[in-house]
Amino acid sequence: MTAKGRALPQVDLPPLRQVGRPLRRVDALGKAVGATVYAGDFTMPNMLHAKVFRSSEPSACIKQLDVTKAQALPGVACVLTADELPDGKLITDMPGQTGQERRKGSDAPVLAAGRVRFVGEPIALVAAETLAIAEQALELIKIEYEPLAGVFDPLEAMKPGAPVIHEPDNIVSSWKIRKGNAEAGLAAADLIVENTFRVPFIDHAYIEPEAGVAWVDDQQVINIRVCTQVVEHFRSIAQAVGVPHNKVHVRGTMIGGGFGGKEDITVEIFLALLTKETNRPVRLAYTREESILAHSKRHPFIITHRTGVKKNGRITGAEIKMISDSGAYPYLSPYVLLYATVTSCGPYRIENLKVDSVSVATNNPFTSAFRGFGGAQAAVAYEQQMDEMAKALTMDPLEFRKINYLKTGDSNAIGQQIKSAVWLEEEAMQALAALGEKKSVSEDAIKVGQGFATTMQSYGRIMWFHDTSRSWVGIEQDGTVVVRCGAPDLGAGQANSLCQIAAEVLGVSLTDVTFYNSDSAVTPLAGTTTATRQLYMSGNATLKAAKMVRKVLLDRAAEHFKKEPNSLDLADNKVFIKSDPQQWLSLADLSKMCAADGLKLQHLALFRAPFTDKLNPENLQGNVFPDFTFSAHAIEVAVDTKTGEITVLKSVGCHDVGRAINPIAVEGQIQGGSAQGIGYALMEEVQVKDGVTRTPSLSEYLIPTAKDLPTTKAIILESGTGVGPFGAKGIGEPALTPAAPAVANAVANAIGVRIHDLPLTPERVLAALDHAKKG
Amino acid sequence: MKAKAITLNVNGRRHQVTLFPNVTLLEALRDLNYTDVKNGCEKGDCGACAVEMNGKVINSCLVLAWQADGAQIITNAGLGTMENPHPLQEAFADAGAVQCGYCTSGMIMAAKALLDENPNPSETEIREGISGNLCRCTGYTQIINAVQMAAKKMTQQRSQQ
Amino acid sequence: MLPQFKFLMPKTLPEALEMMDEISRVIPLAGGTSLLVDLRGRLSHPHTLINIGGLDELRGIRIEEGYVVVGSAVTIADLKRNVLIAKHGQVLQQATTVFANPLVRNRATIGGNLAYGSPAADTAPPLLVLDAEVELMSKDTRRTIPLKEFITGVRKTVCHPRELVTAIRWPIPPEGSVGAFRKLGLRKADAISVLSVAVMLHCKDTGDRDQVRIALGAVAPIPIRAAAAEELLDREPLTPEVIARAAQLASEATQAIGDIRGSAAYRRRVITALVQRLLTNLAKGAKEKKRNESKGNHS
Repeated sequence: MTAKGRALPQVDLPPLRQVGRPLRRVDALGKAVGATVYAGDFTMPNMLHAKVFRSSEPSACIKQLDVTKAQALPGVACVLTADELPDGKLITDMPGQTGQERRKGSDAPVLAAGRVRFVGEPIALVAAETLAIAEQALELIKIEYEPLAGVFDPLEAMKPGAPVIHEPDNIVSSWKIRKGNAEAGLAAADLIVENTFRVPFIDHAYIEPEAGVAWVDDQQVINIRVCTQVVEHFRSIAQAVGVPHNKVHVRGTMIGGGFGGKEDITVEIFLALLTKETNRPVRLAYTREESILAHSKRHPFIITHRTGVKKNGRITGAEIKMISDSGAYPYLSPYVLLYATVTSCGPYRIENLKVDSVSVATNNPFTSAFRGFGGAQAAVAYEQQMDEMAKALTMDPLEFRKINYLKTGDSNAIGQQIKSAVWLEEEAMQALAALGEKKSVSEDAIKVGQGFATTMQSYGRIMWFHDTSRSWVGIEQDGTVVVRCGAPDLGAGQANSLCQIAAEVLGVSLTDVTFYNSDSAVTPLAGTTTATRQLYMSGNATLKAAKMVRKVLLDRAAEHFKKEPNSLDLADNKVFIKSDPQQWLSLADLSKMCAADGLKLQHLALFRAPFTDKLNPENLQGNVFPDFTFSAHAIEVAVDTKTGEITVLKSVGCHDVGRAINPIAVEGQIQGGSAQGIGYALMEEVQVKDGVTRTPSLSEYLIPTAKDLPTTKAIILESGTGVGPFGAKGIGEPALTPAAPAVANAVANAIGVRIHDLPLTPERVLAALDHAKKG
Repeated sequence: MKAKAITLNVNGRRHQVTLFPNVTLLEALRDLNYTDVKNGCEKGDCGACAVEMNGKVINSCLVLAWQADGAQIITNAGLGTMENPHPLQEAFADAGAVQCGYCTSGMIMAAKALLDENPNPSETEIREGISGNLCRCTGYTQIINAVQMAAKKMTQQRSQQ
Repeated sequence: MLPQFKFLMPKTLPEALEMMDEISRVIPLAGGTSLLVDLRGRLSHPHTLINIGGLDELRGIRIEEGYVVVGSAVTIADLKRNVLIAKHGQVLQQATTVFANPLVRNRATIGGNLAYGSPAADTAPPLLVLDAEVELMSKDTRRTIPLKEFITGVRKTVCHPRELVTAIRWPIPPEGSVGAFRKLGLRKADAISVLSVAVMLHCKDTGDRDQVRIALGAVAPIPIRAAAAEELLDREPLTPEVIARAAQLASEATQAIGDIRGSAAYRRRVITALVQRLLTNLAKGAKEKKRNESKGNHS
């Protein structure tokens, strides 16, 4: 596969002083010296220790639950079951915060009442003086199950007569696309290629297991100090516990990894209930095994592509079917399915498109958000399908894609016009060029292959959620800056980006900015750290707020210098006349002047994404997302055809991020996201049999170690066409999306045959080679 | 089960604690507020709990506190402070090697052990040295850059002494 | 949290053996990298543990009457860097480089790895091809068991409740002996072996033909020597055709099972491939050696 160089469209981005520089992140040093206090590192005086009693059955009625012995154990402060919870308050986890409608009766209960639907479902809570006593108490809880027939395969669950997880049937969600005439499009094809791809349950495997501490304060506010991607859960928590919204205070911590796994409510309600009941601080920290059992998984998908193409490479029509396993409770399944549906055919112009997707309930572990959110699964299928079509046409995979790529101004699968830059060709070429020539090996049994994938992944939430964010920027009288913004930081530098933006606008260094974030009571609510939205939403809100402060400063300085405000600038902690920089005032002095005049030096800004209406699920046509990031990843692998082992030799990610606020952070996202993608492709799978997880710890659930990955080269392109601050797009999820299909394409290139299921284990490689020999 | 008084020398401080035998060194350290030592798995799979014990980097979740009686223990927080960070801590912060930071303390202890034995490691040797420390955020590339940066700085510092 | 137990901390080996004699069913704890994991997972419920990892008598690597003698509490990390092991136990040292990860290696011990009795113990195949023996001591007894008789089943050894594994020893391989170890896991570090192979070309300085030894891990209830394959190689020269047949015999010696890491069929198949590969390398190495030696004689 060769990639000829080509000049990128010329982009002249305005020069910046802080934004765009590879500065040390504001949170980095505290973490590096071990000073940062994570959710599990915090203690309160008089604190109790909590444990959760969980179902060992995947599908059963609870015939009898007896907690009396547990309650009687000395040192146990309380035991709670569904019986003790506020009446009829069954809560689901929908971080929409805008009151999404959801299938009634399918909400996940806080504690199981009478029926359990998955192994690990919470049934009772214990709080005790020590962790040891709490663990002992769990052993004393007596439970009798009456097993019910369960279903563990979405295909089985869709059949009539299958056990029903939630009435009336197991179809949790469905979306359809009917664009043009797919039947006619396929009929007009010279060649039709059909493939079915499968991807498994995946665990987030953040190194920090879920944890938190809660206490009731002197205003009877339930405080919850917890690692969460969503502080707005305070509303759902309040509802579940039976208190007013303003009596729950979520203090989000620096998160030790989220990736979507800490997007739904995890320990919060348990903590709130126990602290309210005991009137003492309570700590709950999951073990790793409990974390794997208790939190959501990435949706498994079965995706079938049937695509028609002309001999000249132009796609004439496509039919796509998608089935996802929603597990025991819906959580965010409808939206994961939506993302998958909207990007189901990839970043390609397909005028005749029929997509049918469905999310199906089973007694498997529940599935919800995971970096990519359906877009990653869709990409595993569409990018492999593209390579298969190229192969069938005996065309170069990139040349084939070029004939079909979306361009700026084109409309995507559901008719949304893409307004930002679409640099797929350039990204693919740069990524492949960086891969270089295939490594030559002397051993016959080792086959080297190269592959790439080009993908689209949205940034910004579904627009009919009417997303908003708020940020509060202020300048102190000594010229230092404070940013307060509710955005949780899950480790990707969400908080730092806001600080770098504020520093840019106010002419200070990053080290002059202090931030406060992720607090539902004290920082302006900025929405979820999900959907690659924080830079777009909170970055824009922060930019807006900082500009408001800047205006006050410049207007006052203009008075002082007797010049127009637009002839002045802020930099190096000063305000100065652009044409005569020798005339300047320190920011500290300027701030004092403003304060003396009673001017407003702290501004709260609201940023609003475009608000749209919900689309028709029977035929998705319209706009769902604010914009997309277009990405490429290229991989070189060596496959040992005797053992099936795969070694990743080279890895290159090339992404147009619009504008890199902090290039080192963007590189880190590309390297880390692709590492997760490589793990997805090669070794990760939560193996579930009859509802029971057979990979309970990190010994069985394998994520890449430092020896499993090569140095990943990150190529950052900046088109400046994003809708984020300074023309930025988003990188969090896009960093992962192309990596797994790139690996799959590289392996297929190496061994000459396609493996349709992830992960590409050594055993599957040998099976594929055998199959190829026979066929 | 009877508790026993033991001595843990941690980051230059002497602690006398009375503990039951089934308490791990990880639990004992965190109860002494050395919360930079993290619990990621409690079974030696992730390396987040790595500390140096009598000169060797180990998983503190797999050592009983009684087995560490009298030992010299160094945790990441003992290597440096925000005012005066260790070259590894500084390099990690500058190279982007710290994203969520949860693996960082254990990772730095493993990197220190590597550099103690091999002051100028190759990329392969670094990957080997941190192969027992899982990171889910960075993909390890910037961590390797950080270790290489720190190695250079530490060699410089040594030659200046 | 770990369950409750009593923890004895003897200062010397005699004290330890005395304690083990007095109290039945005392479980020795050294590095804890397997045992503490089991305790935490409630797979094991010992009443009393005895700390033996720090006993001086159980550490140390030395040569004694033509044998390499390794104290049972010697860590995998110490084996990895030891010059005597490099010289006289090279195939074992290879295994230590892919054993778990550096942190675990600093605590895990050779005695613990064997006494735990896992069929996937990575030190076992190399020690089997080295014809290693296990020394067991109790208060009043001392015996030496060949390693191939020491592990009898999954997590079962012949160690009596009052006995302690005190040392592992093997005869110094003759000059020119060479071996190789290879494990296959589902990732490149810190992975439980799906299967493993150790081979050794055991040179006989008397001019008799060299003996080829083959040991396999994680493909039977216990680590095994591939006896039939070895017998074939005793009779036939190391040609590609013979190597292929030997590899097949090795595979037939397995009793592989399927689990979350792989099917039985996959294990059998890859054992064949790896045995073939390692023997081929061994043969190449032996040929090179002969060529160099004959060159040396002529010059």
